[in-house]
Amino acid sequence: MNGRTWRYAAGAAVAVVVGAGVITAIAVGVATAAPHQAPLAARPAGTVVIGGKTYPHATLSIATYPDSMFGLRGAGGGAHPDWVSYSNDNLVVPANTAVTVTVRQYDSGGSLNNAYFGHVVGTVGGTEAVDGKTVRSVPADEVGHTFTLRAIATDAPPLYLNVPLPAVAGNAPNSVHIGYGDYPTPNIVTFTFLTKGPGTYQWNCEYPCGNSVAGFGGAMSTYGYMSGTLTVK
Amino acid sequence: MTLTDTPAPTPPSPEPPAARPIRWKEIVAVWLVLTAITVVGDLVVFPRVMPRSASTTMHLTIVTVVLFSVTAAPVGSLVYAGAVYALRHWRAGSGDEPPPEGPPYRKHNQLSIAWLSISAMLAVFLLVWGLGALAADNAVAQKATMTVDATGQQWLWTFHYPGTKVTTETPYLPVGRTVTFDVTSLDVTHSFWIVQMGAKIDANPGEVTTVSVTPTRIGDFDVRCAELCGLYHAFMTTQIHVVSASQYQSWLQTQELSA
Ligand SMILES: [Cu+2]
Ligand SMILES: [Cu+2]
Repeated sequence: MNGRTWRYAAGAAVAVVVGAGVITAIAVGVATAAPHQAPLAARPAGTVVIGGKTYPHATLSIATYPDSMFGLRGAGGGAHPDWVSYSNDNLVVPANTAVTVTVRQYDSGGSLNNAYFGHVVGTVGGTEAVDGKTVRSVPADEVGHTFTLRAIATDAPPLYLNVPLPAVAGNAPNSVHIGYGDYPTPNIVTFTFLTKGPGTYQWNCEYPCGNSVAGFGGAMSTYGYMSGTLTVK
Repeated sequence: MTLTDTPAPTPPSPEPPAARPIRWKEIVAVWLVLTAITVVGDLVVFPRVMPRSASTTMHLTIVTVVLFSVTAAPVGSLVYAGAVYALRHWRAGSGDEPPPEGPPYRKHNQLSIAWLSISAMLAVFLLVWGLGALAADNAVAQKATMTVDATGQQWLWTFHYPGTKVTTETPYLPVGRTVTFDVTSLDVTHSFWIVQMGAKIDANPGEVTTVSVTPTRIGDFDVRCAELCGLYHAFMTTQIHVVSASQYQSWLQTQELSA
């Protein structure tokens, strides 16, 4: 090969290496653009009998806040201290287990875009308990947030959950201090669902609680506030 | 410069090398080989990379894609055969004078007529087949005997069965029965796409669009949103379960009782 051929070959090689580098940088950037919080794993809690069958039992406790001042993002509440938020966006639960989730719901609310998400879907018995009272649905105009979960296609066995979290009265006085925020007495919602095999699920809120774009901007359109993953291991 | 100056005599230009004759046999051989490879690829690869058909619409779509690709194979291959020939034979080595152009094909009537008529025939074929396929696909709507409301919103689909209390994220359909989806959106524009059934229609807020489909196969099929709609657009997926007529009836009854 003469000098010119070498130069061409070297140019082609450099182009391939630089191109691969750019693509790798984009892939790494995308993969790390949505950093999750530290995983919150469900705690084992013996066994439970559901429909005559015994399942391993685990419990998980999360919360929904009217702001981001509950401590996770520091004294200032992070970049958007006034955005509504879930306490954790990285939930981990065991496979083939009955998982009982407790949600402390500190936020006020309003009307859903779709009344369907006022109904409880996919939990054991199709119910949730609100402050100890078992219900199948929450009035569609009294919802604070929802915990709505589905499988990502081809990644996990189908699993659909919709749990409406009733709103706290808008004028309720603050009585609880958590982290750097003051909140009213929460609605405590519990529900149990059965996990299947391992996989990753996506969940988000279906109440328009973001502060722009018809309620779907801000906290609803930014990772780590009104959405997250549920990893079944 | 004065008027008496005479222009410098131009040096005699070197004798141009003679145009090389075109080796038609080589072009035809490459054309045939490329055509054969492309046709085999169309017939073997396309039906495998496309989802296996689960509706009459998707069947027609796959047949059309394969047929159009096979029809286009000789046309595309001829272009590539010419390009390969040019790269092989009409390439200037370093320092060479570029070879002269061949004689122009002017007033070559047979070539013009052949080119125009073959192009016209191919274009008319695509048009006629395409209109026929469109008409056949539109005719599916007339056969519909059931309706399902499909509602998109950030970032989920919900399905309501009119005349019942049933609303679900994971609808069931009876195999072989044509269904019309009345599609709308509660917020931004989405697009309702049943991947393996080849049905896709925009979901617009305040409007109802319709798409009809006849499921031909029992199984679980993917629904996706095909219009970028926000943070979780990529996860706006669900499944449609196509089951036998009796399984469908019992599912509907169970849902109605628990609603
Ligand atoms: Cu929310
Ligand atoms: Cu969408």
